Amino acid sequence: MAHRVDNEYDYLFKIVLIGDSGVGKSNILSRFTRNEFFLESKSTIGVEFATRTLQIDGKTIKAQIWDTAGQERYRAITSAYYRGAVGALLVYDITKRQTFDNVQRWLRELRDHADANIVVMMIGNKSDLNHLRSVPEEDGQAFSEKEGLSFLETSALEAINVEKAFQTVLSEIHQIVSKKALAAQESASTNGRSMQGTTINVAEAPTNTKGSCCSS
Amino acid sequence: MATGIRRSRSENVDHNKNGLLHRSDVTQGEHPLSLGKTSAWNQFFEYSEIMEQIDRDVKRTHPDMHFFCGDSSFAKSNQESLKNVLIIFAKLNAGIRYVQGMNEILAPLFFVFRNDPDDKNANFAEADSFFCFVELLSGFRDNFCQKLDNSPVGIQGTLSKLSQLVSKYDGQLQHHLEVTTEVNPQFYAFRWITLLLTQEFNFADTIHIWDTLLSDPDGPQETLLRICCAMLILVRKRLLAGDFTSNLKLLQNYPPTNISHLLYVANKLH
Repeated sequence: MAHRVDNEYDYLFKIVLIGDSGVGKSNILSRFTRNEFFLESKSTIGVEFATRTLQIDGKTIKAQIWDTAGQERYRAITSAYYRGAVGALLVYDITKRQTFDNVQRWLRELRDHADANIVVMMIGNKSDLNHLRSVPEEDGQAFSEKEGLSFLETSALEAINVEKAFQTVLSEIHQIVSKKALAAQESASTNGRSMQGTTINVAEAPTNTKGSCCSS
Repeated sequence: MATGIRRSRSENVDHNKNGLLHRSDVTQGEHPLSLGKTSAWNQFFEYSEIMEQIDRDVKRTHPDMHFFCGDSSFAKSNQESLKNVLIIFAKLNAGIRYVQGMNEILAPLFFVFRNDPDDKNANFAEADSFFCFVELLSGFRDNFCQKLDNSPVGIQGTLSKLSQLVSKYDGQLQHHLEVTTEVNPQFYAFRWITLLLTQEFNFADTIHIWDTLLSDPDGPQETLLRICCAMLILVRKRLLAGDFTSNLKLLQNYPPTNISHLLYVANKLH
């Protein structure tokens, strides 16, 4: 039933998929949410949306994933989609150097439009095409270390590391959120005051109630 | 002096022979790394980027149809035609050039012309679809133009018009969608409008919708908005019962619909 209203989760985290056109964002999404892959899939216009609920550190987490169009023209439009996002997967294609060179521009895009505390993972996709590789894994590693991002190479086609990439990002977000919630509780109890005025930046999800950072 | 000219001529011949340009012949504007608008090199690099993008998108135009995709020479020649049209359009319209999604608008036009039962007509499918593509986009190209995004004629303006139309005919639905469940029309209708509904239905249904879209005396823009509005009204019960997630999923994956009925409902929104 498509119109069932479900609240069966502890946290709702919004994740955006960004990166140049043709790097495989939509296939990473369909691999993760439906375990599907299409060698030739339609180009994404505007934004596409999917969800998947999974268990992380004993909590039920609903990942709400927004897949965006890669072409420059769509960036101004898609910047609205960054609002409320707590995680981002920044994807490049290991067989196309240009898509790796553009990662810097995408980071700037995030800095301009997303929350400063957004958890970013860089992904080198199409690792099954190793014979066509033009970006060495070490380059990705070095760049991500320099920028303080987590990093993985994935293959949406062979279902390698896609699950792990999402798990890593979601778990990192969850840790930040629980730490903040814990700190908030502690300061509340030591000050003998209520939690009023405590800001949780990364996600607006409180610990003990059903939380969400968008709606529903 | 005569020997001087002869010498420089023979030098030129030498340069031509090994493909090198004389250093003094390269003006500042023609420097390979120049970012100037008139630089031939810069234009060359920009166009090769556009051509790569067109190539990538043409290959993923209706990947489920043999007409457009696959290894047959028929599909290959059709892809070449789509590419030619899009490249020429990009060259002639420097302000917009190629925007992802134009391939989806061109595809139905080319398909119809190429399948003309009369070979004499079918052979001119590329030229005919180019003409019609230019005509069709003359009414819609502002939606593709980033500079006009926030102007009344750009995509945001068109999306507001849709909102107003829904509000006029079904205020409860518009309020529930946009206020209660916070589903911004941009999240689903951006694609409906920029692609003229080509990604929402199967190909035969799209052609059916386009027959109305292109023949309505009110013009394609008004008709398109009415059809979009009717699409919302047809699933209003589910939308009114839904939350953000289920509503957005429903509208991004619009269910198979009786197209004649949809067009009937749209036509009543006059």
